[in-house]
Amino acid sequence: MSTTWLPCGIYHQNYAQDHAWWQTKFIKGKMILLFIILFVIIPLFADSYLLSVCNQVGYTILGALGVQLLIGFCGQITLGHAAFIAVGAYTSTLLILEFPWPQIMVDYGIAYPFSIIIAAVVAGIWSVLFGLPSARVKGFYLILTTMAAQFITVDFIITQYVSQIGGRGQAFSLPPGTIKVGPWVIDSDLKVYLMMLVLVIFCVVIMVNLLRSRVGRAWVAIRDNDISAEVMGINVVKYKLLAFFVAGFIGGIAGAFWISNIAAISPEHFPWFWSLWLVGVILIGGVGSIHGTIFGSVFMVVVMEALQLAVMPLADIYPKLLMDFLFIKEAVFGLSICMFMMFEPNGLAYRWWQIKNYFNLWPFSY
Amino acid sequence: MELFLMTITTGIMVGGIYALVALGWVLIYKCSGVLNLAMGEMTLIGAYVSLSFYSMGIPFLLALLFSLIIGLILGILTERIFLDKLIGEPVLTVIMVTVGLSFFFKGMVELIWGTDTRVFTPPVFTIEPIHIGPVIVGQAYLWSFVAAIILLIIFVCFFKYTRWGLAMQATADDEMAALSIGVSARFVYAASWAIAFMAAGVGGTLLGNINGLNISVGYLGLLVLPAVVLGGLNSVPGAIVGGITIGILQNLAGAYLDKYFPGGIKEIAPFVFMAIFLLFKPHGLWGWERIERV
Repeated sequence: MSTTWLPCGIYHQNYAQDHAWWQTKFIKGKMILLFIILFVIIPLFADSYLLSVCNQVGYTILGALGVQLLIGFCGQITLGHAAFIAVGAYTSTLLILEFPWPQIMVDYGIAYPFSIIIAAVVAGIWSVLFGLPSARVKGFYLILTTMAAQFITVDFIITQYVSQIGGRGQAFSLPPGTIKVGPWVIDSDLKVYLMMLVLVIFCVVIMVNLLRSRVGRAWVAIRDNDISAEVMGINVVKYKLLAFFVAGFIGGIAGAFWISNIAAISPEHFPWFWSLWLVGVILIGGVGSIHGTIFGSVFMVVVMEALQLAVMPLADIYPKLLMDFLFIKEAVFGLSICMFMMFEPNGLAYRWWQIKNYFNLWPFSY
Repeated sequence: MELFLMTITTGIMVGGIYALVALGWVLIYKCSGVLNLAMGEMTLIGAYVSLSFYSMGIPFLLALLFSLIIGLILGILTERIFLDKLIGEPVLTVIMVTVGLSFFFKGMVELIWGTDTRVFTPPVFTIEPIHIGPVIVGQAYLWSFVAAIILLIIFVCFFKYTRWGLAMQATADDEMAALSIGVSARFVYAASWAIAFMAAGVGGTLLGNINGLNISVGYLGLLVLPAVVLGGLNSVPGAIVGGITIGILQNLAGAYLDKYFPGGIKEIAPFVFMAIFLLFKPHGLWGWERIERV
């Protein structure tokens, strides 16, 4: 599904061309245009509202990438990914607030990037811990252990114990100016946006490169049939745990990134709803496709924002709507998942693939 | 010792309600192979419907009966509108449709009934506790247990002795064979959803009577998942045993572990126990072990 046919007259003559990121000049031009739009046009012309929507999209992409890896590429259904995002966010916050960084690291703004890396590794290890049952159980039983991960991590450990560190009670608030990358203090939507872009591109590149290597092929083999994968000599447990680690790693990056956008962090930011939301995002975007993750994230965030914009004018007439918006959002989300599953089970990425293939051979598609 | 006995008794009583809801879950799974994550919200809907009828001044039993009828209708509608089109789709698709349904139901419940805690007024069961030997039990618990057990017996008899029940058993056992002797699988699917919705509604009503009714009752409904996993996904006795075990376990954890792990250990214990249990028995107590071939 992910491969596209090459246009007429273009042939690969060596392996380097076969492995190239951008296989034709057209794709290269398209991607450069995309980068120009992302890095130049949007920062120049977007207002703060649009940027904050973009940041939400980026956060959703970062979160959903790990879910996509587990569900779409390794076949391990997870319903507790918000737990690992929470672990990343809390590790990073605690490191910034409590760890005695040498003054020089704080001055040069290395502390926060460093904490992102540590947070990602911790989240990855935490994810492996809850991926351990996958060695023995699969299918629905595995779904329940990942659910258990969510409840144990967020509702119990973080709410009851981690939140007590430093005696702050429920929420950790980050004083302005503490989040600093290099010489830049991340204090505006624009800076968060640029950091988000860098992280999203970084994670997507990691994912794509992993997926087209030996590791990725092993994951796909496990997804398609784990017994035949084992027969072919793949160490199933090792690769499953590796998938959990990478998924947790990217989730940790997502969490550690998101603390730059929210002033205070509390367990309510990582409910079970958010885990399910991420699964919904990849289902709507298309399972087993990186494009799908991005399309799904954009679609969900934009649809929800549009819904909000549509509901807000009505709120003058019915003030109750403002309070009930959260519930409307939930109901619409649920219904849209059902509808997508029933009428477009391959997700948006499949539509995109069809359109692309149609235009590849256009106008003579036979 | 007295504390222990009381905890166990309360656990069994609450476990009876879980067993009832778990039975509905297992029924759906056995008949149609759908792993249903919307069970919590189904309990919520049933509970709120009977609360609404009760607040209108209708006697409790009649209100319960009405909520059963509404559960029947909603169950059939859900199956016909959403699940019917998904027969033969991959597992993840079906699971996510039930997740979508659970959000839809939850959003609707919150829209219609709000998020404040509501209680059955006037109280259905008197607060006066009952002494059984050394053990003191709240009336709400006792009668809920009795009601749950009666319903469990009714359901079991329904499966054993009625024509429809036998048709459902046949489908659960071997769908192909059942189809070939003229059992309508579509009817069985619809019936299983209807019965599950009804069981969940009764369970929710009883749970709402104990602690008052708000969204968190849906979370209690989610506890059927550890219960069914404990018993094995496709075993009716397993569901009942699992439900009661989870009830006992939850109360024991609340009574004894709370000192060492203050906070929400009561809510978490079933999930922790389940995760550890699965490491040792990956198919639950009496679940079928599928032999896989390439």
